Amino acid sequence: MKARIKKPTGGQVATAILLLILGILISMQIKSVKQSNELKNLEKARAIELAEQINQLKKENSSLRSQIYELESKIKEYQDSAASISKTTELLKDELDKVKILAGLTDVEGPGVVITLDDSKLPATANVDPNSFLLHDSDILQVINELRAAGAEAISINDQRIVATTEIRCAGPTISINNTRYSAPYIIKAIGDPKILKNSLMMRGGIIDLLREFSIEVKIEEASNIVIPRYTGTLKFNYAKIKNEGS
Amino acid sequence: MKEVDGKMIILILALAIGILIGIFIPVSIPQDYSSYVAVGLLAALDSIFGALKSNLKGDFKIDIFISGFVGNTLIAMLFAYLGDKLGIPLYQAAVVAFGVRIFQNFGEMRRVLLLKNKSFVKEENKND
Repeated sequence: MKARIKKPTGGQVATAILLLILGILISMQIKSVKQSNELKNLEKARAIELAEQINQLKKENSSLRSQIYELESKIKEYQDSAASISKTTELLKDELDKVKILAGLTDVEGPGVVITLDDSKLPATANVDPNSFLLHDSDILQVINELRAAGAEAISINDQRIVATTEIRCAGPTISINNTRYSAPYIIKAIGDPKILKNSLMMRGGIIDLLREFSIEVKIEEASNIVIPRYTGTLKFNYAKIKNEGS
Repeated sequence: MKEVDGKMIILILALAIGILIGIFIPVSIPQDYSSYVAVGLLAALDSIFGALKSNLKGDFKIDIFISGFVGNTLIAMLFAYLGDKLGIPLYQAAVVAFGVRIFQNFGEMRRVLLLKNKSFVKEENKND
C-alpha cells in the first residue's frame, strides 16, 4: 500500500506525459481518418447525384423535342385549314411555303447532286506540307459557293441544312457546321438541275479540278430524288428587328 | 506486484485522459500529414509494447524507453516523408518492422507471464 503513495520519479512522470501525448495523437488521427472517409463518401454521392441529374435532363430534353414536333405539326394543320378559308389566305400559305424553303425550315426533296469529299489517301511524303492533302473549310465554302451560283435551291452538308446563319469554319481537325463538328468525309447534297450543278463543279480549272490536283477524293453523283432535312437549330433574333417603314 | 499495478494505473489513466483530450479539442491532423502520424503512432505503440515486456522481465530502463519512444517515432515519420519524396512507399518498411516487433514483444510477454504464474511462489522468494 505504501508503494502507491510513493513519489513518482522523473522517469515515470515523463512516461505519463508521453502516453498523454500519444493518446491525444491517436484520437486526433482517428478523427482525421474518419473525416477523410466522410469526405470521400460525400464526393461519391455528389457524382452519383450529378449523373442522375444528367439523365433526368436528357429525358426532359427528348420529351421537349417530341413536344416541338407535335406543336409544329399542329401549326401546319392550322395553316392548311386557314388556306382553305379564302383566296387571300391561300396566297399567304403559298408565300409562307416558299419562304420556308428559302429559310431551310422544312424538309425538301427533288433532283440534284450528291458530292462526297474526302481527305487524300496518298501516303505522306517528305518536303510536302501535309495540310495540302486535307480538306479545309475554304474548300467546302468554294464548293457551296459554286453550287449556289449554279442555282442550287437547298444545300446540306452531312445533313446539316445550309441556312442564312450557317457557318462553315475550321475547328481543329474538324469543320464546324451549324455549331456541330464534322470530320471527313463530307457529303454535300444540293437540290437543283443535276446537269447544271454537275457541270459548274466540273468546270475546267474550277474547284473540283483544284481539289483533284491535291488528290483530294471527289465523287459527284446525279440523283433524281434526294431529301434534304430542315434546319434543326433554334431561330432567335436578339438584335435584328423589322424596321417599320412609313409608320 | 502492488507497486507495478499502481504505476500501470497511472499510465493507463494518462493514456485515457490523452484520448479524451484529443476527442474533445476541435483540432484534427491535416490530411497531408495524416499518413506520417499514422506511422509515428505505430512506432510509439511498438515502444510501449517493448516497455511492457521489459517491465515484466524486470530490466526496464526509463531513459531507454523515452529515447526509443521519441526516436523511433521521429525516424518512422522521416522514413514516410522520405518515401513520399522519393516515390517509393518506404513507410511500408516501418509498418512491417514495427508490426513484427510488436508481435514478438507480445509473444515474449506471454511467455514471461505464463511462466511467472506457474512458478509464482518461487519468483517471490527469489526477489525477496
